Amino acid sequence: MSSEKIEFPGTSLSEKDFEKGNILYNTDEMHAEFAWDTGVGIGSYLAALKDGVILGSYCSTCRKTVVPPRTVCEWCFRPMNHYVPLHDTGKIMTFSLCYVTWDVQRIKEPLIPAVIEIDGASSGHGILHLVNEVDPQLVRIGMRVQAVWKLVEDRQGAITDILYFKPSEEA
Amino acid sequence: MALLERDHNAVQSWRGNLPVTNRYTFGLAGERFFREIKDNGRIMGSICHHCDINYVPGVNFCERCLNPVEDWVEAGSSGEVHSFTLVCVNVDGSPKEVAELIAFVRLGDGGLVHRIGETSIEEIYIGMPVEAVFKPASERIGSILDIEFFRPIGG
Repeated sequence: MSSEKIEFPGTSLSEKDFEKGNILYNTDEMHAEFAWDTGVGIGSYLAALKDGVILGSYCSTCRKTVVPPRTVCEWCFRPMNHYVPLHDTGKIMTFSLCYVTWDVQRIKEPLIPAVIEIDGASSGHGILHLVNEVDPQLVRIGMRVQAVWKLVEDRQGAITDILYFKPSEEA
Repeated sequence: MALLERDHNAVQSWRGNLPVTNRYTFGLAGERFFREIKDNGRIMGSICHHCDINYVPGVNFCERCLNPVEDWVEAGSSGEVHSFTLVCVNVDGSPKEVAELIAFVRLGDGGLVHRIGETSIEEIYIGMPVEAVFKPASERIGSILDIEFFRPIGG
């Protein structure tokens, strides 16, 4: 239907109309500050990242190690038994070559978001992060990767304390 | 450390700020209204001859009969105080250093909410004739604040 319509009603505007002052307008900015409570599990996870450790948690009933750590098992709903420090290596489970940034700017060199199965966690358990230092065309599912950390003094207890994952030398 | 215990060395919360900006265009009638203020220092209204209503600010469609309104006329720069209040706090709730006199000034069958100057809360009254004081043309940007304030006529 709409494809048959040649002219839509209304007044179309382009960025130029704003730049040249052809049109009057107001601009404003919202103060959308927020504080998100990390909770117990993620709080410990972020604190461990500051120390250069990827933390998981273990349920002895299900014999599962999950990452990021949870305090309650998702399968049996019992409290998890303990935290487990994991390796900072793993393998790519799935990935994407992304040619737009989060605010929809086109980029030439793709970002490579990937879900990485962390060594030490149960099969299929991993985290979403970026892969870098690799030819985008050579990224493969199952590729071995290792974390590249921020300098200790720059870490702030955030997932970005890991800069990205790169193909590990052992591969 | 027990699993259900909070790590007090950990970050307790994650803080951020959503970068939300907006841009609001005035619309066809609003554009015409504010363009007249900016370029000519005139307050424009529009008349629906069917309903005999002089809309100020001017509109493109009559809100009563929904007919297009095409007859734009100057509303003049003077009107009368329809209602007023003394504003003592800022938008964020902090106290204002100088209280501000705000009024609804009736122009035609409509009017504008604006500041009242050169008078005081003791002197102002409902029905007081007031006139618009415009900024110099070079300083006008196409905003309602291109009118600096309304002041009593002959006061």
